[in-house]
Amino acid sequence: MSTIAETASRGQTRRRMRLDGWRWAGRIFLLFMLLYTALPMIWMLITSIKSGFAATQFPPQWWPDEPTLASYQKLLDPQNSVGQDFLRFFWNSLFVSTVTTILSVIVAVPAAYAFSRFTFPGRNFLFFAVLLRNMFPAVIFLVPLFILMRAIGLVNTHGSLVLTYLTFGLPLAIWLLKGFYDNIPVQLEQAARIDGATRFQAFIMIVMPLSTPGIIATAIYSFIGAWNEYIYAYTFLSKNEQLTLPVGIQRFFSENTTDFPGLMAASFMMSVPVVVLFLVLQRYFVRALTEGAVKH
Amino acid sequence: MAHVVLKDLVKTYGNFKAVNDVSLTVNDGEFVALVGPSGCGKTTTLNLVAGLTPITSGDIVIGDRVVNDLDPKDRDIAMVFQNYALYPQKSVYMNLAFPLQMRKLPRDEIDKKVKEAARVLDMTHLLERKPRELSGGQQQRVALGRALVRDPAVFLMDEPLSNLDAKLRVQMRSEIKRFHQDLKATIIYVTHDQLEAVTMADKMAVMNGGFLQQYDSPAQVFAHPVNMFVASFIGSPAMSLIPLEISTANGGTVLTSAEGWSLGLSPRNVQKVTKATTKKVVLGARHSTIKLHKSAVPGSIPAKVYTVEPTGDVTFVQAFLSGAIVNVSVPPNIAVTPDERIWLEFDQERMHLFDGETEMALEAS
Repeated sequence: MSTIAETASRGQTRRRMRLDGWRWAGRIFLLFMLLYTALPMIWMLITSIKSGFAATQFPPQWWPDEPTLASYQKLLDPQNSVGQDFLRFFWNSLFVSTVTTILSVIVAVPAAYAFSRFTFPGRNFLFFAVLLRNMFPAVIFLVPLFILMRAIGLVNTHGSLVLTYLTFGLPLAIWLLKGFYDNIPVQLEQAARIDGATRFQAFIMIVMPLSTPGIIATAIYSFIGAWNEYIYAYTFLSKNEQLTLPVGIQRFFSENTTDFPGLMAASFMMSVPVVVLFLVLQRYFVRALTEGAVKH
Repeated sequence: MAHVVLKDLVKTYGNFKAVNDVSLTVNDGEFVALVGPSGCGKTTTLNLVAGLTPITSGDIVIGDRVVNDLDPKDRDIAMVFQNYALYPQKSVYMNLAFPLQMRKLPRDEIDKKVKEAARVLDMTHLLERKPRELSGGQQQRVALGRALVRDPAVFLMDEPLSNLDAKLRVQMRSEIKRFHQDLKATIIYVTHDQLEAVTMADKMAVMNGGFLQQYDSPAQVFAHPVNMFVASFIGSPAMSLIPLEISTANGGTVLTSAEGWSLGLSPRNVQKVTKATTKKVVLGARHSTIKLHKSAVPGSIPAKVYTVEPTGDVTFVQAFLSGAIVNVSVPPNIAVTPDERIWLEFDQERMHLFDGETEMALEAS
């Protein structure tokens, strides 16, 4: 008897050790990934508070001798020409991204709901056609879209960017939201309709609140996509007062080739909205609202 | 409350007929169970009555209105779903209030009705909770409350007990039955569990393959199944069905088995088998109508024990007979062992005879 018990316990220890080995390997890997993603951002922050001279010094100053917020002051000062540009680019980016996000939610919500709930001729074909766009690299469409935009007179307008970002963001947004709607039991709507709601009321009053996490995830996705996009903004816009941040920063960079702190400060401020947006709304990604709605 | 009439109801999906010419009348205050195996069209039928699925043809009458083209909200019905379908973002109170809010009742009246329903269902202390904070039984009760708070013309229930554990199911079964008696409610209740149908319903509609097989009181369905499907579906353990052939021996009509034995028939049963379209006849017998003998007695048939299942009150014996399995119930003090040779005696008064071709019950005229 005792030998059996011993063998069993030894087997258990060995299993736990092997498991622990994997767990530590996982932790080390995660730590490596964390450093890999965080270090450039930390370096961006450190550089942004250096003086122009300190930023190009070699060997580098790991922590600046004289930390300064001068670059930030310059960028945020509307009296200054650099500040004027930066604030205008920032506003342009915000405008384009917000309009893209709102339109993309307005289109994606009913589209995804229809794909999830209704059967109609060509439903599967349409759904895959929607995803087809994502199977090609974005640059392939650069020249055709530019020609198209010129033909309809949208070159050098923010409308060209909004339209382009919609065509890129919508497929995934619809796909993402459809997944959310698929997970909301259809009986909830049926119950609402029997309880006295019209089909539309059932959607607005019951389904919409439940799909809020999905809508927010979709919105963040669209916003980030539009906020970070570079190549189309670079191609479609040429007037300085229309540029969005990714392109604007590059202009700003080439005018002051050596102003690394200014560039890093601009980059940092460009990341702020996205990070804040994500931090504020991330709980919606995690929260599973439908839990307890029905018995599975 | 109101009566419900289904007339020649048909629902097709492409070439597939899910509901096939179903006609039945549910009287005011009646509890009707739609029962059948999965895919028999019972839930589809319920959804047609609810208006969640458009009908292909036929008529649905609730009260005195033809409701074929009305929205679910205008049919004055309430429904309890298998998965309860409680609104997860709303508290129990708001779940109960929702149907009243949609009907634009004044706030204080809503409050009164919700609290009354909560009191009846004994869940006043749960009103502020969210559905996910409730147990399965409590969720079930909220679903029931949301249906009764509105005092609808008809209650539709789609397998409301199938997600509960066995003990709770029995308890809720009697609660729903009590609820029906107290409210004199018209209820259409879908279930795949024939025991629920038999124990709760005033009438049961047995469905199979989209067709209504039989619509009658549970006692009638149990005693006089119209065909082999109903016979084998209602009752547990299932009715034993033994395929036999008609022949004549010594001037009388008997049923013979491929195994060589033959079974004499009472005059009434002889009358029945003469109605058969071919020589093939299926003998049906419920477990309680078959007597088990340890030795041969006149009129008994030899069989071999397959399994023995003691349940405490009774012991169910399964035996092989003419290629079919026969269920027999015996008192627990009778000891039988597998592979033992036994003799079975059928009760001529309570046996069922079916046409081997059409599978319909044979009746003496």
